Amino acid sequence: MIKSLFDKVDLTPPVLLVLGVLFLLLPLLPGEFPLVVGTEILILGLFALSFNLIYGYMGQISFGHAAFFGLGAYTSALILRPMIEAGQLGYVGFFLALAAAVPVSAFGALIVGFFCVRLTGIYFAILSLAFGELLFYIVFSWYSFTKGDDGIQGLMAPSVLKSGLVYYYFTLAVVVMAALLLWKITRSPFGFTLRMLRDNQNRTAFLGIDIRRVMLLNFVIAGAFAGLAGALWGPFQRSVSPALLGWHQSGVPVFMTLIGGAAHFAGPLVGSIIYTALNAYVTQFTTYWSLTIGLIILGMVLYLPGGLLSVLDGWRQRRRKAGT
Amino acid sequence: MSPSILEVRDLNKVFGGISATKNVDFDLAPGAKEAIIGPNGAGKSTFFALVSGYHRPDTGSIRFDGKEITGQKPHEIARLGISRAFQVSNIFPRLTVEENVRSAIQVRRGKAFDLFSRADMVGLERTEEILSLCNLSPKRSRPAGELSQGDKKKLELSLALAGQPKLLLLDEPTAGMSIEETKETMELVDRLNATFGLTILFTEHDMAVVFNHAQRITLLHRGQIIMTGTPAEVRANEQVQKIYLGGQA
Repeated sequence: MIKSLFDKVDLTPPVLLVLGVLFLLLPLLPGEFPLVVGTEILILGLFALSFNLIYGYMGQISFGHAAFFGLGAYTSALILRPMIEAGQLGYVGFFLALAAAVPVSAFGALIVGFFCVRLTGIYFAILSLAFGELLFYIVFSWYSFTKGDDGIQGLMAPSVLKSGLVYYYFTLAVVVMAALLLWKITRSPFGFTLRMLRDNQNRTAFLGIDIRRVMLLNFVIAGAFAGLAGALWGPFQRSVSPALLGWHQSGVPVFMTLIGGAAHFAGPLVGSIIYTALNAYVTQFTTYWSLTIGLIILGMVLYLPGGLLSVLDGWRQRRRKAGT
Repeated sequence: MSPSILEVRDLNKVFGGISATKNVDFDLAPGAKEAIIGPNGAGKSTFFALVSGYHRPDTGSIRFDGKEITGQKPHEIARLGISRAFQVSNIFPRLTVEENVRSAIQVRRGKAFDLFSRADMVGLERTEEILSLCNLSPKRSRPAGELSQGDKKKLELSLALAGQPKLLLLDEPTAGMSIEETKETMELVDRLNATFGLTILFTEHDMAVVFNHAQRITLLHRGQIIMTGTPAEVRANEQVQKIYLGGQA
């Protein structure tokens, strides 16, 4: 009875619950550093969750997802900057600046997606990479508007939110709400339309679905959430730079999702914890961060191709077999 | 107005210089249950692909239910009411059996873009109905990719049914099935036709299945229709014997 119930229940809620408690208690660790790492984990985790809509659920890989993260970061930065310079940064303006990133990134994703969803597989991946680099170069070279390579400095949140602790909990709240929304989308009929597309595109079309429209809508949703994550980045790091749109940054959610597990909703978030925390602590001891993460990915792909959370699947399968 | 549900006129399709479909005229009455036969490469699958919109015909016209569908996309044709079940089972391997059927039903109900309902709350009665109709209820929570060949074909049929079609195209519905499964599946096909009035057009290699279950049979050879007739007429036809038995009969 309990066993069969256990089989039916999705493992995601318990995983999210454990993660939630960990994140709530994280500020109990001594010092400011865990807060910084924690905030970064959350923001990049949301970024990776949005990426996994495209990868894990729709079955396409995007190497240009950072374009929308960066677009969101720049949107809020460009709105915040004049307010900060005028000394008029209030809560309303701050929240509006963050919120504005969502439609701007969604619009960017609509345009890029319009072209990308015509293709699948490696062509989709390469085209997304090309558009990502295109947007990177626009931001990089449009000095009068974006300050180019200098980036935009001196970003901050208003009064109380300036404290690392408060900003951490603020980020936690935003990311939790966004993740719940994403979770709901993945459980919706649309979420299953995505899975059908992932499993068998032709068959999905024969059932009467306009595949490109599905892909485009999903691309826009993923872009919007990436934009929200990007918007949180500027006030946290105090600056934004064109690198946020670049292909290096686009690789981050790919790594995170592979580490955590694309087949699990919480996989990218778990991946973000591992990737970001390792990045933060390993770089204190060695400058060979790229080597470290490269070895981890290598080990992961060779010995645990489903990502860390796939361990849970194996465990569950063994229990099911033992039960029957 | 013609009484045909499917009306094909002078259909042609050439692949690399070879006519896969040549001057084909074909009519199907509503509620019919007919078969298309022919040796390998006769153009049966091409004909299905043309009707379901997977290939575009070079010339000719296809009308379904009074509407011109020539050159329309597969998803548009599916929405008009033509469902196709494939020769090689064409399912969603990582979804469970139940999720396969449920998702197909949700598509049919226009829920494919519904972001906010819960997928596991929509279309459950119909899912149940189809699963039990196709004898798949006991395997509902298995990932579809783990099913046996026969069960995959049953699921394939379930997916086609989920589209609530007016016309069901079955491409070798019993290929890869055991004798038991073949019997079970063809009984289901008969029931769908008799009880639900579904128009069915199928291809099949197994001649026993064809002669026992089709009301009329059309013989294709090298893309052309050789003859159309009742099972008895087809059985008695000399050309059929030649094509199938290499003139030894």
